Amino acid sequence: MSTVLQNLIDQPYQHGFVTDIESDTVPKGLSEEVIRQISLKKDEPDWLLEFRLAAYRHWLTLSEPAWPNVKYPPIDYQDIIYYSAPKPKNKLASMDEVDPELRRTFEKLGVPLHEQAALAGVAVDVIFDSVSVTTTYKQKLADVGIVFCSFSEAVREHPELVRRYLGTVVPAADNFYAALNSAVFTDGSFVYIPRGVKCPMELSTYFRINTQESGQFERTLIVAEEGAEVSYLEGCTAPRFDTNQLHAAVVELVALDNAYIKYSTVQNWYAGDANGVGGIYNFVTKRGLCQGVNSRISWTQVETGSAITWKYPSCVLLGENSVGEFYSVALTNHRQQADTGTKMIHVGRNTRSTIVSKGISAGESNNSYRGLVKIGPKAAGARNYSQCDSMLIGDRCGANTFPYIDVQNSTARVEHEATTSKIGEDQLFYFASRGIGNEEAVSMIINGFVKDVFTQLPMEFAVEAGRLLGLKLEGSVG
Amino acid sequence: MSTVASTWLDSLLSGHELFPEHRAGCWVNGLRADALERAHALTLPTPRDEDWRFTDLSPLYRLAFRAPVAAGALDAASLAPFDVAEAPLRLTFVDGHFVPRLSRLAEAGGALVLPLAEALESHAELVRAHLGGCVANGGSAFAAINTAYLHDGLFLHAPRGVRVPPVHVLYVSTRADVAVSPRLLVIADAASELVLVEDYVAVHQDTYGVNVVAEVVAGPGARVRHMRLQHDSKNAFHIGTTGVRLDRDAQYGALAVAFGARISRLDLHLTQAGPGARCELDGLALLAGRQLADTHSFIDHAAADGSSRQEHRCIVDDGAHAVFNGRILVREGAQRTNSAQQSRNLLLSDKARVDAKPQLEIFADDVKCAHGATVGQLEAEEVFYLRSRGLSESAARAMLTYAFAAGLVNRIALPSVVARLRETLTARTGNTEIVR
Amino acid sequence: MSQSPGRELLHVDGLTATVAGKTILKGIDLTVRAGEVHAIMGPNGSGKSTLSKVLAGHPAYEVTGGGATFLGANLLDLEPEERARAGFFLSFQYPVEVPGVANGQFLRLVYNTVQGARGREELDPLEFDDFVRDKMKLLEMDPAFLDRSVNEGFSGGEKKRNEILQMALLEPSLAFLDETDSGLDIDALRVVAGGINALRSADNAVVLVTHYQRLLDYVVPDYVHVMEGGRLVKTGGRELALELERRGYDWVAQEARAA
Repeated sequence: MSTVLQNLIDQPYQHGFVTDIESDTVPKGLSEEVIRQISLKKDEPDWLLEFRLAAYRHWLTLSEPAWPNVKYPPIDYQDIIYYSAPKPKNKLASMDEVDPELRRTFEKLGVPLHEQAALAGVAVDVIFDSVSVTTTYKQKLADVGIVFCSFSEAVREHPELVRRYLGTVVPAADNFYAALNSAVFTDGSFVYIPRGVKCPMELSTYFRINTQESGQFERTLIVAEEGAEVSYLEGCTAPRFDTNQLHAAVVELVALDNAYIKYSTVQNWYAGDANGVGGIYNFVTKRGLCQGVNSRISWTQVETGSAITWKYPSCVLLGENSVGEFYSVALTNHRQQADTGTKMIHVGRNTRSTIVSKGISAGESNNSYRGLVKIGPKAAGARNYSQCDSMLIGDRCGANTFPYIDVQNSTARVEHEATTSKIGEDQLFYFASRGIGNEEAVSMIINGFVKDVFTQLPMEFAVEAGRLLGLKLEGSVG
Repeated sequence: MSTVASTWLDSLLSGHELFPEHRAGCWVNGLRADALERAHALTLPTPRDEDWRFTDLSPLYRLAFRAPVAAGALDAASLAPFDVAEAPLRLTFVDGHFVPRLSRLAEAGGALVLPLAEALESHAELVRAHLGGCVANGGSAFAAINTAYLHDGLFLHAPRGVRVPPVHVLYVSTRADVAVSPRLLVIADAASELVLVEDYVAVHQDTYGVNVVAEVVAGPGARVRHMRLQHDSKNAFHIGTTGVRLDRDAQYGALAVAFGARISRLDLHLTQAGPGARCELDGLALLAGRQLADTHSFIDHAAADGSSRQEHRCIVDDGAHAVFNGRILVREGAQRTNSAQQSRNLLLSDKARVDAKPQLEIFADDVKCAHGATVGQLEAEEVFYLRSRGLSESAARAMLTYAFAAGLVNRIALPSVVARLRETLTARTGNTEIVR
Repeated sequence: MSQSPGRELLHVDGLTATVAGKTILKGIDLTVRAGEVHAIMGPNGSGKSTLSKVLAGHPAYEVTGGGATFLGANLLDLEPEERARAGFFLSFQYPVEVPGVANGQFLRLVYNTVQGARGREELDPLEFDDFVRDKMKLLEMDPAFLDRSVNEGFSGGEKKRNEILQMALLEPSLAFLDETDSGLDIDALRVVAGGINALRSADNAVVLVTHYQRLLDYVVPDYVHVMEGGRLVKTGGRELALELERRGYDWVAQEARAA
């Protein structure tokens, strides 16, 4: 591979600073006692503590999944801090009272928090390590009956809603990491869109891991009642540490009749250095339930960070005519490993799903698409179309495609296509001979490659995502 | 290993000593003994194994098999339907036993075509050098069992530049409850050419077992065509393992057909070990009733400038179940590999099921790889086109179903095999109107 | 047109039809008599192809109103194959490929099926081979096309020739030729048009569904209909096609709206 290409893909991580804020942490390690402490600190009701303890007891019986196409040394789950919160000086009454150090952090990150939030028209919930720092635009949303708050607040203010839906899409016993999250999750976001309400603005959460030995276990729950619509965005960054940190989130979406949830992620956790030292282990469980007729859940993700990504945002298509969508760009460089994809579980009649996955591998990274399309015996008339394309930059990386297709209804139609392409010297030379420089050529090729996914992102995010790919691969994407 | 499986294995291997022993000190005895040990040490697959997720062999493990002590009585006339007229050479095995009376052994243009049992002695060095080279003798439980049972089969050696006339290896089952372990070893030296028809049929519809291992070694520039016709009885269990190794510029073209068996499984592992190798793999499963056919293929592009094309089609009716797992690996350094894989599946009934898993694993950047999978019914537009030409709906559907499979069959260069497959297809798809 | 009018082959009266819940045909009236050539022209999306498919009985379309008789029988009651056997032929805009079935076998099956349904003599493979080769000459088709799979890998022009070949075999009373000229170069167009003309008689009729008028230079229509928004909004003679070629379709639409 040429040095030009190598230089282009070796841009340093921009978010790798640590914010010096005093933290309130529980001691390292995991036990029923630690869980009780977390629950106590958060002043939780008994049912939630019981939920956690049951999950923990089940977790003890599970072992880490071995099937993903990723390699990492064993994780010592007793060497992780399960609760770390910025110590608030006092309770926040407004945005201005947010710790200035914290605000500077978000300014560095480019998070449109304060005034920027207003200009961008984005309501932002910020999860700093484990605790939600502030939520903007709460009042404006409350006026139309929308609840958008930290998970902890939701437990306090809307316990009946949380209790009704928590764990219904991703049961506590679903898998190893989901069980771990259910036991120790500290905060996250909660969104409730009442019947018939179309959320007037994009809702957005930024996640940041700050403490070196802490894990992040956030929990997101979004419920869209009949006819409700919401577009939700999440972004993630972390400082550079030479140890690995665990991020094991759970996201649950519930869409009732005619509801539409659009969930977009730009994931840029610290990926480790060029030799694969440090970086986040991003082991998350995201699943949406299209419970109602004509409901629709759309996942869009741009995965550029993390040392290891293990994530399969999925849709369970229960309601008749419901629609599931998954649009993904996953970029890996250096020693990054990604095993990501989706599951489309067709249960109801005339359910439809679309999968568009674009994997870009560079350096010595390994990038796998893994997806399941399952058509159940009752899913008459179900349709799926999947397109999974890989692009390789350099000859030391890997690109893998593992689609699982399981069809049990003869009226269904499932189509899967996958292709592989590369950015090679020939192409760059061809562009150069037409007067186009290497950076621009790579940018054009990559942009063309990911276009089908980027058009699914809300405008603000598309810009950020383009910038991110640019930082990851070269200087001038977008 | 579960107790059930363990007991089954014991019963299966208990007939081992009934085989006519080779001369004391024969090198094969050691190989068998090692494999036997290995077979006991290995776990029999269950649906908990990722590679066997959809293929539950517990009905097989519940059966007690008899060792194939002797060939059943069979007259030459009853083999007429299975004759491959283009093949001057035929080795016929009845219930696992070579029957010279039903075979055609002729001059093979300078090649060696003989029963493996004979070759184990007459060409020990050549056999020894290659046996277990493509399918490790202890690589899987079934390969180990096959090796423990290693007794007879086909030995085919085409020396450099020799063009071998088509060879037909016919396995006929006449008895229920017998388990056979055929072994095929095919060595195609540089620039040789050969055509092999590997054929499994039955003259009854009872239960029996086939556990076959076939190995094909193709030297530089060799050309091998391999038709594998699995038309066992509808209650049979058929486990096949085929290993193929292609040297520089070697070519391998294959069609594997699964028409019979209650449960059949084919593991096809092809390695392109030398640059410029080419393979074309076709697979066809035509399933009804409660049949299950599982094809696991693995194409390993280990050298540069190779190409592979694979097309696997399944027609699944009633409560049958087709499984396809097609793995393609392009290793580091296998630049300019060109690989295309298609899995197409036709579901004819509401209870039919298909599990398809094409996999691409690519570690070289200058490659062209694509795969695709479709599952569905006949295209409404195609049915309408035929109806608009006056065909009834059922005739249109039968014709399209037939055509779905016939596209692959028509690629075979042996007219008698094509005719036989078409006949089966015609009968099974109800397309009675088109017979050439 | 100089002779007395031929017998009525097709009579369409206020036909409306939908596909996937969307109304495409909004009331079609059309009468075609033996010996006539009609051209239905119109911009893309006007419903031309839909009309052909609805009349041929495509299952994706639902007739929601009006009626159509063919040779006095209710066309809409018939299955697609019954329409074909009765003498209604549709030449597809995009002929379907049937890999695995040899074209020759297919043509013989189609021919014999329809012959049988009409109580006529069927041909054995040898007789048919002579018969079909003769017909292929008319379309300057290489007999090698008999051995290839139906339409598979055929060029656009080869597919259209194969369609007209089927028309020649089935001897329909009424042939709807849907965009038969699209994808043809000038030589192929001449050959296909020659084939169509050779098959015309006082007993049958042809409806050319086309976007452009160039086919009409070769197969001269008696009537030209303009389709717009699911209706036939204007009917004229040969000269209308030339005017459309010159002026486009917009003025017809405006005229129709004004009327």
